[in-house]
Amino acid sequence: MKTTLTRRRILRALSGAVAGLLSLAASRKAKAAVQKMLVASHTPKGYDPTKHKWLMALDVERCIGCGLCVEACKTENNVPLGPNYFRTWIERYVITKPEPGSGELRGEVVVDSPNGGMHGFPSSLVPKEQILKSFYVPKLCNLCEHSPCSQVCPVGATFDTPDGAVLVDPKYCIGCGFCIQACPYGCRFMNPITKTAEKCSLCYHRITRGLKPACVEVCPTEARVFGDLKNQAPDDPIQRFLGKNKAAQSLKAHLGTGPRVLYADLDKEVR
Amino acid sequence: MQRPRIPPQILRLLVLTIVIVTVYSIARYFLTPQSFGMYGWYRAVALDEIAARPTTYAGRKACDECHSEVVQRLAKYEHKSVSCESCHGVGQAHAENPDVAVAKLTYSHCVRCHEADPARPKWLKQVKSKEHYTGQRCTECHIPHQPNEVP
Ligand code: HEC
Ligand code: HEC
Ligand code: HEC
Ligand code: HEC
Repeated sequence: MKTTLTRRRILRALSGAVAGLLSLAASRKAKAAVQKMLVASHTPKGYDPTKHKWLMALDVERCIGCGLCVEACKTENNVPLGPNYFRTWIERYVITKPEPGSGELRGEVVVDSPNGGMHGFPSSLVPKEQILKSFYVPKLCNLCEHSPCSQVCPVGATFDTPDGAVLVDPKYCIGCGFCIQACPYGCRFMNPITKTAEKCSLCYHRITRGLKPACVEVCPTEARVFGDLKNQAPDDPIQRFLGKNKAAQSLKAHLGTGPRVLYADLDKEVR
Repeated sequence: MQRPRIPPQILRLLVLTIVIVTVYSIARYFLTPQSFGMYGWYRAVALDEIAARPTTYAGRKACDECHSEVVQRLAKYEHKSVSCESCHGVGQAHAENPDVAVAKLTYSHCVRCHEADPARPKWLKQVKSKEHYTGQRCTECHIPHQPNEVP
């Protein structure tokens, strides 16, 4: 078999190329139509995620364990009321006095969080005389720099945004639950109604509108501090926090997930 | 001389592979969202969708519009760090339409922050509600927006 360049062959190749080019435009239209069917698009607002870097910090010494933040979080974000579903919660640490003569500096560490502290805390089971130290620690997503939860997501439904939040795209989440197991802080749960993974979104719908996250809004003692690292006003709460608490720590930093949420006055027993 | 021929089973495999790759590429082309990869390995419009959710807490600034007198009074006293909505509950619906009443406050909401508890920091003024003037509502003696004024 020999290949020769006949007029017929050239014409055929040319018309094929033209048809290909035409179908490219048509396919683009078809693609847009398919996309429209799959996801309704929203018009972007005047908020540029690359121009912000949000951070939350917690002052343990100022938390009074009222639980308003937990309640506000559930109300604001439609989180189911059950005791297993929390985007943020409060833990009460009670460190008892050591057994006399044991040579230890501290006794047992008792941690409790009845219903996440949502309705405040009942009086402690440990009698007052035996308590060496006791305090409340609010917990939430630690906004990891290298978040393990978004690394394990098989469908790109959870991700680190340029402005510092870690979000879940409920339309793409398939509910496999890998991210819930990957989070070393236990900050994720499966929403029993939508059957998708859920977590603290830093109230993304509020911060993009210039409001504070719901938990920060209702916190009566400024134990929760929230601000933008990229647009710092001189009286920015996060700036004041960083100036005052040079030794602020993050939780489980040794895991290498790069947790960004900072805790001031953190006891070494807190994990 | 005869050219070396491709065995038919390999040919079939080849054709099948090409078909699968083509179908996959076409499906991928159609199903990948436009904004995928704009910021990373995800759909960037998801950010806008999440940002479009409605709010229920209005924030202190919203109350200032109509209750500026209360806001200013509160700012002068010890409850200055306490947000209106910490005590009065969600207020977005009320702020948009004042006919929607805010929740009625119960007696227990003061105790939620002021009940004595060893886990509470020392700087917070705490009372034992069982010993502190029982039988009367807190607001009979204390003005909630001016807690410093001791009756
Ligand atoms: C658009 C104006 C407006 C805004 C904004 C507004 N209010 Fe009001 N509010 C009113 C009016 C008008 C009344 C009086 C209604 C009445 O007396 O029946 C009222 C009454 C109240 C009352 C008293 C209800 C009672 O039972 O006596 C409280 C408490 C209150 N508002 C809290 C708030 C809080 C908290 C906010 C902020 C989230 C807020 N309001 C924002 C207009 C507003
Ligand atoms: C410490 C809790 C607390 C905070 C914080 C608070 N309130 Fe109140 N507020 C009350 C209580 C309790 C009453 C009911 C007073 C009564 O029953 O006599 C009340 C009553 C009111 C009323 C009814 C009329 C009046 O002046 O007595 C308005 C309006 C009101 N609050 C607005 C606000 C606004 C606006 C803010 C935020 C700037 C705010 N409150 C913050 C506890 C609070
Ligand atoms: C959301 C939490 C919260 C609620 C609810 C709350 N308070 Fe307070 N209260 C505080 C904080 C925070 C302070 C300031 C710190 C301090 O001085 O203890 C304070 C301070 C006080 C003080 C001390 C004022 C002074 O002279 O230093 C009194 C009295 C008081 N509150 C009474 C009340 C009464 C009465 C109520 C119910 C209407 C109430 N509080 C509800 C958080 C709250
Ligand atoms: C009969 C009036 C009366 C009632 C009712 C009352 N108080 Fe008081 N309260 C006072 C007086 C007077 C003081 C200041 C003197 C003192 O410490 O006893 C005070 C002080 C306080 C203080 C500051 C304590 C400190 O260490 O300085 C707090 C907090 C407080 N009350 C909260 C409450 C709460 C919460 C309630 C409702 C459970 C309540 N009060 C009910 C009269 C009252």
